[in-house]
Amino acid sequence: MAKQVTYLLLLPIFMLAPAFCCAQPGMNKASFTDTNKVRIVIRPIYNGKILKTGNQYYVNALGDTFYIDVFRFYISNMSFTDGTNNLLSNSHLFDVDDTGTYSYTVSVPAGIYSSMQFIVGVDSIANTSGANEGDLDPMKGMYWAWNSGYIMAKLEGHSKSCHTLHNAFEFHIGGYMAPYNAARSIALTLPQQAIATRYSIPTIILKTDLAILLNNADLSKTNSVLIPGKDAMAIADLYAKMFSVGRVISMVPFER
Amino acid sequence: MKILTPTFLFILILCAASAFDTNMKEIKFVIPDGWPKPVYKFSKNKLTDEGFKLGRKLFYDPLLSRDGSISCANCHTQWSGFTHVDHGLSHGINGMKGKRNSLTIFNLAWNKSFMWDGGINNLEVQPLGPITNPVEMSTTLADIIKKLDTAKGYRARFYLAFGDSTITGQRVLKAMAQFLAMLESFNSKYDKYVRHEPGGEMTAQELNGLKLFRENCGNCHSEPLFTNYSFQNIGLAPDTGLKDYGRMAITHDPPDSLRFKVPSLRNVAMSYPYMHDGRFNTLMQVMDHYTDGIIDGPTRSKELDKPIILTPEDKKDIIAFLQTLTDKDFLFDMRYRDWRD
Repeated sequence: MAKQVTYLLLLPIFMLAPAFCCAQPGMNKASFTDTNKVRIVIRPIYNGKILKTGNQYYVNALGDTFYIDVFRFYISNMSFTDGTNNLLSNSHLFDVDDTGTYSYTVSVPAGIYSSMQFIVGVDSIANTSGANEGDLDPMKGMYWAWNSGYIMAKLEGHSKSCHTLHNAFEFHIGGYMAPYNAARSIALTLPQQAIATRYSIPTIILKTDLAILLNNADLSKTNSVLIPGKDAMAIADLYAKMFSVGRVISMVPFER
Repeated sequence: MKILTPTFLFILILCAASAFDTNMKEIKFVIPDGWPKPVYKFSKNKLTDEGFKLGRKLFYDPLLSRDGSISCANCHTQWSGFTHVDHGLSHGINGMKGKRNSLTIFNLAWNKSFMWDGGINNLEVQPLGPITNPVEMSTTLADIIKKLDTAKGYRARFYLAFGDSTITGQRVLKAMAQFLAMLESFNSKYDKYVRHEPGGEMTAQELNGLKLFRENCGNCHSEPLFTNYSFQNIGLAPDTGLKDYGRMAITHDPPDSLRFKVPSLRNVAMSYPYMHDGRFNTLMQVMDHYTDGIIDGPTRSKELDKPIILTPEDKKDIIAFLQTLTDKDFLFDMRYRDWRD
C-alpha cells in the first residue's frame, strides 16, 4: 500500500520529464534562476598518456630527454555563452601535484552549450587589484613580488639538454602589460552539448597536452624564462595550443 | 581598604590606560584639503581599528622574516619617517646587504607604484617585496601564514579584524595595507604655513628657500606630496659595484636606464642618507650634486637641461626650507608606534 502511494507521488514527475529532455539549444537565457553549474575536469597528458611528474622520463620531438617537477597554470574567466553574458568564473589554479585541483565547478546560466571560452592565465584587472583571495592569494606562490603580477603558468623540470645548474629548466610565464601580456584567450567547440540545468551538472573533460609545448621548446637553447617579455610570449603562444576538450558528459534526468 | 588595594590599583591602571587611549587620535584616513584624490581606496579593504592594529602588529613582528630576526620596522623606524636612518644600504637577515637605500613610508595611499623602480603596482602587495627578497626577510607568504597559525594571539586578532579566524595571505596583506595607508604626514610647519595655522610662521630664510625650491626643484618634487611619482635620472654616476639600472629592470626599456622614482621630500631632514643607494649623507651634498655633480647621459632627466645655479647662501636657504617639512606630529604619533599589543 505504502509503495503504491510512492509511485503515485512520482507519477507527476515522470510526466514532467520530457520538458527537461526536450530542452532546445535556443534556451541559453537563464530559464532557471538558480545557479547552475558545469564541472570542469582537467586532464594533464603527455602524448595521450596521463602526465606524471618526478621519475617519469619523456622525450620530445627535438630529442631532449627530460622529466617534469612542477606544472601549474591558471584558468580564468570561463564562460559558456557567446560573449552575451558576463558571468565569468573566478581564476582556478591547476597544480599537477595536487589532484584536488583537477576538477572544479563554474557557475553558468541554465542552458545547452556547444562551446566554451576561457583564458589561460589571469586577466589584467586581477594583476593590478592588490591582494586577491582564493586561488589568487599571493601565498599560492604564483605571484611575483619584485615586479607585481601573476605567474600565469609554471613549468619546471630537468633535462640533460640544459647546460644549467643541475640541468634544470624553469619557465615562469607571466606579464600583463602590453605588448607582453602572457594571458591567452581560448575558445573550444564542445564535441557534445553540455546541458546545464538545476537537475544536471555536465562534466567537461579538458585535456592539456604538455607535449604540444615541449615538442616546440628547444630545451638546449630556451631553458630559463622567468620574466615577462618576448621569450615568455613565445611560451605563452605554445600553452595556448595545449588545450582540447576530451568529451562532455551531461546527465539528463529520466533519460533512457 | 587593605583588601581593595590590588584591585584598586588594577582599576586605576586600566583607567589610566583608557584615558591614554582616548588621547590618541582615532584611526581615520584623512584627505587633507587641497590634496589630490588618493590612488589607494579603502572600498575593498574597509579600514577598522582592529584591521589597523593587526597590520601594525605584523609590521613590528620579526616573525615576518625567515629566521625571526628582523621586522619591517628594522629598516623603517618611525622617527626617521619610517626609513633606515644612517644606513646607505639596508641590511636584512644574517646582516646581508641589499642594493638600495630603504625608502620612507608615509602618504602611501597617493603612490601610483612602489619601490625605487616602481616594480610593485599596488599598496596591498608591496610587503611581498621585502618579505621574499633573499637579502631582506627571505621568506614566503605561505611560510608566514604557517607561523601565524600557531603564534600566540594572532588567530583572535584575525577574528576581530575579519570576522573569522582563518589566516590567509590576502588578509595578512589587507591588514598591513590598512596600517601602511594610515601612515599620513601632513602636519609639518610647511603645511601649517600653507593652511595659515599657528605654528606655520616661516622665517625670511625659509620663505626664500621655498621660493628657490619651487623654481628649481618643484617640477619633480611637486607640492603638496613633494613628488610627482615620475622616474628620473638625475645624473648620478652609476655605481660600478651595484650595477643598478633602476626602472629599466622592470620595463626592459632602454630609455628607463638609470631612472629611479622621485621620492617625497617630506621629513627629508630626518631620513638621511639620500639617493637610491644612500650615497649622500647630508642635504648640502645633495645641493652640491644638483649644482655641480650632474653627469650627462642619454637618459638624464630633461628637467635638468637648464643648469641649476645656486649660491652657497641659496643652498642654505633651501635646506632651511626643507627642514620645515619635518612633521613631528607624524614622527611621534602614538598610533604608529610598536605597542606589542
